[in-house]
Amino acid sequence: MIGKGPWSEAPKAASFAEREFQVCIAARLVEDRKTYWVAGGGGPMYAVLLAKRLYTPDVIYVAEDGVIGAEPMLPFDPVMTLAAARPSYRALMWSTMNGIGDHCAAGYLDYGVLNTLQIDPYGNLNSTWLGTYGVEGRRFNGPGGADTIAAMCRRVVLMLDHQRRKFVPRVDFISSPGYLDGSPGARERVGLPAKTGPWAVVTNWALFDFDEGSRHLRLRAIAPFVTLDQVLAEMSFKPLMPPDGKVQTLEPPTEQELTIFRTEMDVSGQFTDTAAHWIVKEGERWSVVAKEQSKKISPL
Amino acid sequence: MTGKSLRVLDEGQGEYLSVDPDQFREWTGRKERALVAKLMSPAEAVSRFVADGDYVVWETNYLNRGPATLIREVIRQRKQRLWVGGKFTWVIVAMLVEAGCCDRADLGFFVGGPAVTRAVIEKKLKVYEYSNLIMTARLRAGAMGISFIPVRSLGGTDNFKYSGAKLLEDPYTGKPTVVVPALNPDVALIHVHQADQYGNARIFGTTITDVESALASRKVIVSAEEIINTEEFRHKPGLTKIPYYVVDAVVHQPFGAYPGECPGLYSSDSNHVVEILGAINGDRVKQYLDKWIYGMASDEQMLIERVGTPKLRELQRRATTVAAEGYRA
Repeated sequence: MIGKGPWSEAPKAASFAEREFQVCIAARLVEDRKTYWVAGGGGPMYAVLLAKRLYTPDVIYVAEDGVIGAEPMLPFDPVMTLAAARPSYRALMWSTMNGIGDHCAAGYLDYGVLNTLQIDPYGNLNSTWLGTYGVEGRRFNGPGGADTIAAMCRRVVLMLDHQRRKFVPRVDFISSPGYLDGSPGARERVGLPAKTGPWAVVTNWALFDFDEGSRHLRLRAIAPFVTLDQVLAEMSFKPLMPPDGKVQTLEPPTEQELTIFRTEMDVSGQFTDTAAHWIVKEGERWSVVAKEQSKKISPL
Repeated sequence: MTGKSLRVLDEGQGEYLSVDPDQFREWTGRKERALVAKLMSPAEAVSRFVADGDYVVWETNYLNRGPATLIREVIRQRKQRLWVGGKFTWVIVAMLVEAGCCDRADLGFFVGGPAVTRAVIEKKLKVYEYSNLIMTARLRAGAMGISFIPVRSLGGTDNFKYSGAKLLEDPYTGKPTVVVPALNPDVALIHVHQADQYGNARIFGTTITDVESALASRKVIVSAEEIINTEEFRHKPGLTKIPYYVVDAVVHQPFGAYPGECPGLYSSDSNHVVEILGAINGDRVKQYLDKWIYGMASDEQMLIERVGTPKLRELQRRATTVAAEGYRA
């Protein structure tokens, strides 16, 4: 998945937010000369924009409202990251929602990148309801365009916070399809295009892929500022381990990645602000610092 | 594959708006074909063409070129028992639910908050689960005058169970395929950049699903930032996105998408959008409705007295100094 890249030799940042780390990792997964369907704002769009800026200049992305190949005017206005003039600026085409859907169904859209609320071992996603559907709990936004992206893009990258309540053995509601029950042909049996499905999961702590045989979530690498035990403790099921048994360590953000992200994208800190911690390097050690109190809470 | 009957492998349990393309043709057969003036106020348009119990669709309201004035008028007139196509609808479903206007919703993406959770649990709001693109496909089928359409998504999800979809053995490939019912709403509310008095309309930028919605719906209200002469349409017919004969009412409404953006003309009022998002998440939608809708006799009054001309000028300036390319004839 992630190997060495231009980021490996670049000067690394000494402090960053967890969400910034997550966006940088997702950006390093982006493949050049491919088409991406990015969901809404936040992490997915930032990851592709950052990659386009630094590593993969010929990547093209489309948005659900019908915008193809924009060169967006950054930064975006608050909450206006989709279906607005700035994100649609200098596009190659202003199409329609059905247009994008057609392009995806016909196979022109290679990758999808999505945010989600809850995920299970087979990459099924819930963004609809936490609790017993319609009876108790809380209603969320629903699949939006994610169901389509998850169903029809050739490879899907999923982004979510690394929390025990988000990695669950069974999602409360399947809003967007992963490998369903994980059995061979499960997606094809319900009419989804062949050779599609979740490909990677990027959290603020770790990177996963899916085992080709069992289609089960598999840990590949962890952040330099957490331990394997921490990563596993914040999951309600056990992921598979890498084929060679070696969990890699992800490289921290580079100074260049962060400069671009902070000055051109998340200029108000709206995106990273919701994650409560800064990661700070002290000597050879990484520390987790609570942003609000600006004090150290858990030296590693 | 060689059998005479189509095999239904699975089906959703969701109620769906009944589909009958021939009945829809009966309706369209009665619509006016002549070029007749349809200009009227938002109040008159909503009063004449939105009835209690209607199925209503709109798009990206409070975000991009949404029919914000028309929706506020629906709320102000206290329409009831609406069934709404809540895809890419952003904050409006929560507003309609709290206003008591709506008791059924086909959903894609929306921001619901505690009010919608409560309404669902208390069974005051029936919800059916789709996705933005599936609702878009249903409208396309409705616009095509057919009764259902195959799609390559929705299968395998729990949305499928709570929808009107079916899983069939495709009679041509023999593979499983999901089909969804066409949607012919009673009303489409659409905001555009330019229209003439007959209802010919231009949209600059992506059209999202507005064209399909206009063609699929029985009654169509178009509000426009600008009313232009029909001669202009005849000079550049390629720019016409909606033809006059599907349109029932034309409303001249500058800032008709406020607080959303109308690309090329004015930016979104971010503070206002954050206010309604906060109201939804903080369960204060009723206060929002009082302040911005019930407390105002019309959008005219709201725009002039509550928003104010300096603010509107600022929004215009922000839109026209950046990213305005492509939004002109």
